This record gives sequence, structure tokens and C-alpha cells, in this order.
Amino acid sequence: MSVDTLSAPPGRTRSRWTSLPSLWRQTPLSFRIGLIVLVAHLLVAATGQFWAPYGFSQMGTGRPLSGMSWTHPFGVDQLGRDIFSRVVHGSHIVILLSLSGTLLGLIVGAVLGLLSGYVGGWIDEVLQRFLEALISIPFLVLALIAIAAAGPELAGNPVLIVLVVALVYAPRIARMARSVAVDIATRDHVTVARLRGESAWSVMRRELLPNATSVLLVEFALRAGYAPVLIGSLGFLGFGLRPPTPEWGLMISENRALIIVTPITVLGPGLALASLVVGLNLFTEGLARILGRTVKLGVQ
Amino acid sequence: MTILKLVIRRSLMSVVTLLLVSLIIFSMLEVLPGDVASRILGRDATPETLGQLRTELGLDKPAPVRYLSWLGGLVTGELGQSLVSSRPVEEILAPRIFNTVLLSAYAFLIYLPLTIIPALLQALNRDRSVDHAFSVVTLVLLSVPDFLLATILLLAFVVMIPLLPAISLVDQSSSAWEYFRAMTLPALTLAIVMAVYAVRMLRDNLIEVLDSDYIRMAELKGLSRRRVLLRHALPNALVPTLNVTALNLAYLVGGVVVVEKVFSYPGFGSLLVDSLQLRDLPVIEATVMISAFVYVVANLIADVAAILLNPRLRTG
Repeated sequence: MSVDTLSAPPGRTRSRWTSLPSLWRQTPLSFRIGLIVLVAHLLVAATGQFWAPYGFSQMGTGRPLSGMSWTHPFGVDQLGRDIFSRVVHGSHIVILLSLSGTLLGLIVGAVLGLLSGYVGGWIDEVLQRFLEALISIPFLVLALIAIAAAGPELAGNPVLIVLVVALVYAPRIARMARSVAVDIATRDHVTVARLRGESAWSVMRRELLPNATSVLLVEFALRAGYAPVLIGSLGFLGFGLRPPTPEWGLMISENRALIIVTPITVLGPGLALASLVVGLNLFTEGLARILGRTVKLGVQ
Repeated sequence: MTILKLVIRRSLMSVVTLLLVSLIIFSMLEVLPGDVASRILGRDATPETLGQLRTELGLDKPAPVRYLSWLGGLVTGELGQSLVSSRPVEEILAPRIFNTVLLSAYAFLIYLPLTIIPALLQALNRDRSVDHAFSVVTLVLLSVPDFLLATILLLAFVVMIPLLPAISLVDQSSSAWEYFRAMTLPALTLAIVMAVYAVRMLRDNLIEVLDSDYIRMAELKGLSRRRVLLRHALPNALVPTLNVTALNLAYLVGGVVVVEKVFSYPGFGSLLVDSLQLRDLPVIEATVMISAFVYVVANLIADVAAILLNPRLRTG
């Protein structure tokens, strides 16, 4: 990784913003690589359905378990489904669920954290203890019991997965947002707004939120980077989306028994999942650098 | 005096957190639709049998009363009966916890050299190709989910180089050697996942320490490079890494769920997944409480260690 740290956000002087290529060159290398990987994934997610060679549940596309070939780059599974097509079809599912779950968690977490930090007092204290308790349950365990609590009728529902991702992330994001709010709350412009008689909600929206944007942006990217893994883990353990949905974690679990015969049916979806997360992590690291923040990748 | 106060205050907060965790888990699993009695009886449920079983299990009592009696059981170690096997929960848990503690200890043994050696290599070759290569490797590994890493290791050490068993089934009758072979792959998976976080952290800490004045002083005194590194730099760089190690312990509690399941290792994590599939409520509640307990204690230890190691607080 390069160490060309940017001390100030690029393009402080207006003229630099005018040329897009020069702006691009000023971003950290990790950001550029991450962005390219991400754009590639988003393109596949958006257009995949139109050019994937086969349908995601189409059987008899080739000889089952026939391994890697030009027509089946990721091999063929036991049911004769083309794994490459399934990976392509699964792309938008994984990305959509990850982003919407993280976004929901971000909104709930940011609102709770900012308000709690600004209002303070016993409300803040109670909320903090409650969030701390939620964070104390390992996130995968919390996700699993939330799914169990939702009951069998909702199991496998994509909306449940989104809600679970949000439930896991919201307390963690709220803790981060609160520390920012506590920091900003003592500044003059916030005091002025309060003395003007503005409500807590309006202070949060107008004074706290704009100052917390860069923290929340990095936080969003960091969490979004882990969401595909969380969703994949749930699918892998059999608590996520239901077959025949081509979710990557679920596919890795389905084809694991075939690993001796055709390892590529496991490695293909694995490559898709890992490359998406690598892209998101590089992007996050670069974004943090551009915004002048430090980020600890992978710390949950 | 202040240190003692800080430590006590921090410990009390942990107790409050655990109480809240128990309240959250209880309300999530018990107050939500479908009670235990209807789950046990399933399709055979008639209003009479349901009512009878509810009285037997004490489900006719109001939720707060049931919560308090469950909480009392948690404190005294009486965790109720499994709905599936009717055995006491603590009897089911004990061997599973033993297995997981053994696995975690093994994982930590692999984790230490796996963290320290790459970080030292990186810090000594800062901004050279070795450093960059390790940075890329750790970044990629950071992005590989644990269940995928476990599967890749399985492919490497079971299928390609047939050294180790694919399924890590052990029980009381297994010999130490069987245990060792069964635990190697799950432990290696957990160790790699934990080391990846710690290497990145320790590298940065080491570089910061190596730049400091006292290291330059030690070098100027003519101490050997080896001595400077191992006796002066490493201990100071390890202190901030303690926090990561506590976080890693916390990861371990969740990580064992996936990794034990991949290798069918009969530990605490696979027990949680199995009991969730069977909807065996008393076992689920107990395992989740224990995992939260480990997490809270790990964080408590990290914070207390930070308080004790902070020289500014030491003088009080």
C-alpha cells in the first residue's frame, strides 16, 4: 500500500476541482483500486441479469460436477446449474441487502447516537447502557437469535435480513455518533441554536449532523464492507436466505460437500464475496484518508 | 485509591450490562410469538394439554416472575432442562465449554507467533517490498470471511495434502492425539482471523516505538539490534495491542459459532447453532448469556489493564 498520505482534503483550492483526472490522481491509491473493484461489482449487479449465460435456478446447463471450463468458468453444481450465472445473479441480491441493511442501521444509529449525546442526562445514560448490552452480544449471535425470535414464518425473508443487519449495526454506529455529538455539543454554534429555543431534533439535524458527516460516511463504508460477510455467514449457517436464492454464502455452504470433486464451485462464489469485501475495505481506507480520519479495518 | 475506584466503577458497569443483556435475551426469545409449550407439543397441542404443560413449566406465571426465576437460575448455575433431550442444560453445556476453551487456547498459541513475527518483519523492513507484501496479504485475508477461510484450509490440508481430518468429531473417549488433530484446522482458522487484525495494529505500533527517542538512545548506547528490538521496542508496542487481543477474544466467542460448525467440532458454538435449529430455548438462552458474559469480561479485563498500565493514573 502506498503511504502518500494527504494531509488536507484534496481540492481545497477551487481550481483543482475543475479537472476530474487531476482530482482522481490526488486520491490515495487504495481508494482508486477500491473504487474500480466496487464499480465493477456494481456494474455486474446492475446488468448481470441481462447477460448471465443461464438462469439462476436453470438446471441441466451442463454435465453436473464437470468442473471448470470455458462455458462454465465456475463449474456446474450437483443439480446441473451453472455456478458462474448463479454468482452473477446473486450479485445484486448481496449488494442490495448489504447496502440497505447498513443504511437503515446508519440512520437509526446516527439519530439515536446524536440525540442521546446532545440531550445527555439520564436518557443518555439509560440508552448507553442499553446499547452497550446489545453490543456485548457477539454480532453473529445477536443476528442468529433475532432470526430465531422472528419465527419460522419470516425466516428466509430478505426484509428480515435487512432488519437484522440494521439491528446489529445500529448500536455500534450509535456509540460512534454519540461520541461525536458529545464533542460538538459544547461548541458555540450549538449553544446559540439551543438558546434560540430550537428543539433537540432540529439542533441535531442542522447543527450536529452536518459536522458528523465525515465520521458517519467512514462508518457507513466500514460497516457496509462487513455486511456481505454477515449475510454470507447467516446463509452459510442456514439462517439466511432460502435456496434456490443464489446468495453467495448459501452457495458456498451448498457446494461445500462437493469440494473434493469440484473445488471451483466453492471458490467461485468465495472469490466474488472476497473481492467485493476487498474493494469495500480499500475504498473505506482511502475514503478515511481523504477525509483525514483513521479507520481500523475489521474491528467489529 | 482512584485506581481502585475506577476499577470498581468499571466492574459495576459490567454487571449492569450483563443484567440488561439477560433482559434483552429473555424478552426477545420469550415474549415474542409462540411459547415454549406450543413448541414442545407442536401439532399435538390441544387446549387442555397446552394448559397442563404451561402449568408444569411455570409458563402460566407472569413474564416478570419467570424472568426473575430464570435470572436466579443463571446466578446459581441451574439453567433448566433442554426441551429436546430433557437433560439439565448445565450437563449439556459443560463438555461443550471444555472443548471450546481447549480450542481457544490452542488458537491463541498459534495466534501469538502468527502476529508477532509478521509484524516484526514488516516494522524492520518498513516501506520495502516485504512490508508491502504483508500489507496486501493481511488486507486480503481481512476480507475473506471465516467460513470461506475454513473451507479453503480444508481444501488445502484435507483434500490436496491429506494430513488432517475433515470432520473434527471428538468426545470424552478421544485420545489427546485425536484431539490435537481434530482441533488443528479450526484453531488455525481462528488464529489467522485474529492475527490479521493484530498484525496491522502491531506493525503500526512497532514503527511508532522504533521512531521514538528512547529507542534511538538505546541504539546509540551500542546495544545490539536484537536486544533493542526484543527488550525495548516489542514490550512497549505490545501494550496497545492488548486491546486488540481483548477484542479478538470477543471475536472468538462469535467466531467459534461458524468455525466449529464448518468442522463439526462439538463445542459451544456448534451447540448454539444446533439448539437454534431445534428451537431448544433453555439451551439457546444459556449459550447466548455465556457468550455475552465472555465478551463483557474480556472488555473489562482490557479496560482494567489499560487503567493499571496507564502511568498517569498509577500515581493517583
